[in-house]
Amino acid sequence: MKKSFLSLTLLILLVIGGSAFAETKDVLVVNSYMSDPVPKEALAELVKAFEEANPEIDVQVSTTAHEDFKKALRIWLSSDNPPDVITWFAGNRAKYFIDKGLILEITDVWQEENLDEKFPRAFRSISFVDDEAYFMPNNWYWWSVFYRKSIFEQYGLEEPATWEEFLQVCQTLQDNGVIPITIGTKFRWTAAAWFDYLNLRINGQEFHLRLMEGKVSYNDPRVKQVFTYWRQLLDRGYFLENAAAYSWQEGVRFLANGEAAMYLMGQFILDAVPAEVAADLDFFRFPVIDPTVPLAEDTPTDGYMIPRKAKNPELAKKFLKFLASKEGQLIFIEKTGRIGVNNQIPLDRYTPLTQKGVKMIEATDALAQFYDRDTLPSVADKGMNAFMEFWAYPDRIDLILDNLERESQLIFTE
Amino acid sequence: MKSNRNKTAWFFLTGPLVLYLGWVIGPSLYTVYLSLTKYDGLSSPEFIGLKNFYRLFQDPVFITSLVNNIKWLLSFLVIPVVLGLVLALLLNNQIKGNKLFKAAIYSPMILSPIVIGLLWGWIYEPAGGLLNSTLSVIGLNYLTRGWLSDPEVVLYAIIAAAVWRHVGYVMILFLAGLKTIPLVVIEAARVDGASGWKKFWHIILPMLRPATVIVFVVTIIQSFRAFDMVNSMTEGGPFNSSNVLANLMYIEAFKNYRMGYGGSIAVILFLLMFAFIVFYLKQIMKNEVD
Repeated sequence: MKKSFLSLTLLILLVIGGSAFAETKDVLVVNSYMSDPVPKEALAELVKAFEEANPEIDVQVSTTAHEDFKKALRIWLSSDNPPDVITWFAGNRAKYFIDKGLILEITDVWQEENLDEKFPRAFRSISFVDDEAYFMPNNWYWWSVFYRKSIFEQYGLEEPATWEEFLQVCQTLQDNGVIPITIGTKFRWTAAAWFDYLNLRINGQEFHLRLMEGKVSYNDPRVKQVFTYWRQLLDRGYFLENAAAYSWQEGVRFLANGEAAMYLMGQFILDAVPAEVAADLDFFRFPVIDPTVPLAEDTPTDGYMIPRKAKNPELAKKFLKFLASKEGQLIFIEKTGRIGVNNQIPLDRYTPLTQKGVKMIEATDALAQFYDRDTLPSVADKGMNAFMEFWAYPDRIDLILDNLERESQLIFTE
Repeated sequence: MKSNRNKTAWFFLTGPLVLYLGWVIGPSLYTVYLSLTKYDGLSSPEFIGLKNFYRLFQDPVFITSLVNNIKWLLSFLVIPVVLGLVLALLLNNQIKGNKLFKAAIYSPMILSPIVIGLLWGWIYEPAGGLLNSTLSVIGLNYLTRGWLSDPEVVLYAIIAAAVWRHVGYVMILFLAGLKTIPLVVIEAARVDGASGWKKFWHIILPMLRPATVIVFVVTIIQSFRAFDMVNSMTEGGPFNSSNVLANLMYIEAFKNYRMGYGGSIAVILFLLMFAFIVFYLKQIMKNEVD
């Protein structure tokens, strides 16, 4: 008993001591949520290139799947030994940790690298809090209404630009036995996209973000307006039937087999369909409802942050600079097809459809992240349930919004 | 001698006891403490007294989930228990192929609830799922619906899948109970001219009491623990129509990062289970004494 205890102690000492002696390189710990094979490989390639340029640094990437990452991040950030770099999302999700003083300020990185010049202006607002930078945006994707070109062609349809045209397109499709809009709302966020876009088109981005921050009430008549438009589509049966039974990918199936014509979705829909279907997909900007409202789009942006208690903040900043550079950005986008934030990347490095997406966003006045990234997680949970309840019982909308407002006020004042 | 034996007992118990205190009792008490705090998993917990509980009983989602748990409990106490008992009685006879039947009926129990959730998710799929296609083939078109998207039926659709899993378990427990009834007693009843029903009601059922106790306790616990199938089939949706307390606790604590609030749901869940089981066991004991 004693003997084994002794040898165990010895073993532990050896392990600790051994690793201490072996440490000749500086170690940079990067915790990443990129667990899907393609982004994971892309990050590995970035690390390889960074290590070649900086042979004295040993980057250790530790990957955790998305949902688990979100939980674990809280533990890392509140511990005394956090990783040096973390992957994260822009918007309220980042601001939450920044406001708690858990994130290192990186204004110097922005200045030294002249990122105000290299990144489009819109990315400044999502990276800065009180004039200091905390977030390093890396890549983003756009949202829009994706549609089957062949179906539109068959019925002589054009991309609708206004709400009236959009309703017209839906009606024509329905008259011809095609489901106008497919959607899978089982996990609710696909419905949140409709709320986002209707609110952005009717009330504008500024109003939308104030609502997301709890500064406007959900039972405001302007918010109710969103649901009267939404209802026009529901009442006419333009959405896929029993949508709540399907995940977003199951919703894609109806688009892929030609039963449905349109899907409001992020760029990643292109990865979810077979190549021949992807070739038949095109997209248009969510139709304009009120032409006096400035154009706004959802462009969820992913990036990096440095925890305030990081052991190697200088190395971490070096790595962030590399990620933001043209070289680093090119490695990532070539591999993933996502859009880099650095505007030095020539447009022709993207596929034609992605180029169209980039151009659409360049002609956009304001950006939002996405419903569950722009507001508090618990409010997003209640909000998305409210959307689903509205979907099933549109007549209850007044009651639903009153309840949602009460819940969200309780959470915001907590 | 006796104290020596006690010492030995304590020596062997210390290890497991320390583990049990540190890994089970400790965290449970910590959850009770958390239920009295506001805690986001990031800043340190802030003591707020009974506020979480006060909030809970005004939270419509909590009420819906509680009611759903009760619906689940009532359905579970009736359907799988009766079905399991009937199957046990049938298969206790030496009918041809009864081993095969037993195995077949018990086999869903071997599957993980998550797998069952996925499986039934496909059966319930509205456009091409087995249930809806079968209904249309036999001309019952008007019965087809989105089983997991219709807020009126979704809970029962999940309960049905859970029942499918639970029946086999109940059957095995009753079968084991039936094996303990001495044949002599049953023979004697037959000689005395007891009919099938009388024999069942006055002889078999009372003698099955120990098995019944276990079946009821297991069933109560199972219905309050209901989580995995709800989570894998609907995540409690649409808009909480199929939510249950365990899933709500998970969502509040680990998705919405309201650990204190989630903790208070856990405490209520514990108290409910505890109350039901204590009440039930007390009834049993009283009857035993009588």
